[in-house]
Amino acid sequence: MKADQKSVLTGVYYIDGDVAAGYGALAAGCKFVAGYPITPSTEAFEAVCHRGPKVGTVFIQMEDELGSISAILGAVWSGVKTMTITSGPGYSLMQEAIGFGAMLETPFVLLNIQRGGPSTGVPTKTGQADMMQSRWGSHGDYEVIAIAPDSPQEMFDYTIKAFNLAEKYRCPVMIMSDECVGHMTEKVVIPDADKIYVEPRRFYTGPAADYRPYKPDPDLVPKMAKAGEGLNLYITGIVHDENGYPVSDEKYKSIYVKRLVDKIRLNKNEIIELKEEGTDGADVIVVSYGISSRVAVKGVEMARQKGVKVGTLRLVTVWPFPDDRINELAKKTKAFVVPEINYGQVVYDVARCAHGHASVVLVPHGGAGVHNPDDVADAIEFAVKQEKPLEGVHEFKTRLEKSVFEGGFKLKE
Amino acid sequence: MNSIIEAIHKGIEKSGVDRKKISIPSDIPFEPETVKSLGVDYFQVPRGRAIAFGSGLKLGNPDLKVIPVVGDLMTLGGNHFVHGTRRNMELLVLCINNFVYHKIAGKSVSVVTEAFSPYSTFEEPFNFPHLGNSCGAVYTARWTALHTSELAESIAEALHKRGMSMIEILAPGPSYYRYITHLDSELMQFYFDNSILKNNEDPRNVAITADKKIVVGKFTDKERPTFIDSYNTQHKKILGDEFTPHGPVFDKAGGGNG
Repeated sequence: MKADQKSVLTGVYYIDGDVAAGYGALAAGCKFVAGYPITPSTEAFEAVCHRGPKVGTVFIQMEDELGSISAILGAVWSGVKTMTITSGPGYSLMQEAIGFGAMLETPFVLLNIQRGGPSTGVPTKTGQADMMQSRWGSHGDYEVIAIAPDSPQEMFDYTIKAFNLAEKYRCPVMIMSDECVGHMTEKVVIPDADKIYVEPRRFYTGPAADYRPYKPDPDLVPKMAKAGEGLNLYITGIVHDENGYPVSDEKYKSIYVKRLVDKIRLNKNEIIELKEEGTDGADVIVVSYGISSRVAVKGVEMARQKGVKVGTLRLVTVWPFPDDRINELAKKTKAFVVPEINYGQVVYDVARCAHGHASVVLVPHGGAGVHNPDDVADAIEFAVKQEKPLEGVHEFKTRLEKSVFEGGFKLKE
Repeated sequence: MNSIIEAIHKGIEKSGVDRKKISIPSDIPFEPETVKSLGVDYFQVPRGRAIAFGSGLKLGNPDLKVIPVVGDLMTLGGNHFVHGTRRNMELLVLCINNFVYHKIAGKSVSVVTEAFSPYSTFEEPFNFPHLGNSCGAVYTARWTALHTSELAESIAEALHKRGMSMIEILAPGPSYYRYITHLDSELMQFYFDNSILKNNEDPRNVAITADKKIVVGKFTDKERPTFIDSYNTQHKKILGDEFTPHGPVFDKAGGGNG
């Protein structure tokens, strides 16, 4: 289905990533946004508030993030596409309802412009430390899709993709951006509406009496309904059978909750998007996402000038994780270098999939800034020099860490 | 709870509102059979989020009539009630008050609290009609599980109010709760002996206290613009023809949905 031209602000812009994501949501057909302003995501909400009323998108500033996410879940069940926008502390408040959304197989998009944490952290500066929270932050078993754009243009493009994935798989889709990308101002090209693909909601169209809210299609995703159509919906966060009725037997739990996980895991080859460059025959592969992938470019260039064969693998979708591809590459390369703005999150998944075939080197950063490309280059050189794979995840000592801690904290003997 | 379901059923019947258009988000679990018999759409939401979820349903599709059912004195999500009321979101909130936090008339009902407060309660409850009224609710009322026909009348009336309506319903919690506290006919007798009807009473005077009778009745019935009215008016004023109003537009001259 093509996008509605009224909602697509076709043109060439010089805007920041937050605003681009807001425009992306409008282009994707988002008709309801509830949010509670929080730095550094506020500009995205402002963009929707500014443009939304002109294109029939309703917005509301709720009383808190718990209200925001609950309202967008309600709006999805009234039949529209929705998004909420937040950052660290707000994201933590939303966790219970994210699991509720996953359990109800509610398609919605959550834009998280990550900032320094934990707690209030560094509100105005960047971080990438919510990555694991985005995967399993709510209680219980479920899977989500998480995307990490690295430029304002991608914020526009991948916000649309996030809506499309949410509708296709009926699951929460997180746009795990960060303050740097959110506040980075660059050229953004918004194409004509007929160049934008918009996934329609998979509405049930059969007779009301035959409707079963959780009867899956062959791709494991059930048809969606909306309130007010006389379908007499019974929708609950309690483990439910195909009719949506509560069940508590372990047999049912393994059937119906397993599908929440499997509909993402078994479709992962269609969901996962990677950007690889020079991985064939590379001795070191830099695995990165979001703003770190742009910093890594410079580090990779420096290492190449010194003669190291380096490839890059960018995780555009971070969850579901590309287990198979990392495993395949681990057998052909000497090491993975993973720069991320935290003290190790996604790197542990890289190590898990490397199965000890290749060294895994973390280039950490505590947040409130981005990596020094020299550190990425040094980590690459360090990794390529190893005779055999290092055990576990090796934490590379960056210039910043050395200057502050002289080699980091040590436990007293 | 069953008598309340029956009152909801009768209230909807009396109001003439199309059942298909009614959604009930609730943090209190209803049985599937109950929901099927009501002929409405039902959403069991996380504790305390029924009003926020309901706001989304209403804003997503303004044609829906949304009846959030909340329990537990709104300890979870009370802020959604306060702000939903301030905005005048078009919802009919049924607040089931099961006395977990109450002491009434110094006796009998303290039994209800045995399970969670083995040494009886000592906290003060909310005065819900007063809370709703002062936040700007267009309709407030209180009934007990004994007053089913009055409750049904109230629901029918409130379903036609434009804005946030609130009906507090004094009732024991789920049947399990009643079972462990051995309260059934005893509670009904208690309601009969200890409630007093005072329609149009100032909501400030209807607090449930240990030494007074429980005041039931309709306390607030007024008009003011809903959230969607204000949203439309404001954007129309500033954006003019660039703005298309959201949902059915309320025509003051015609007095109905245009």
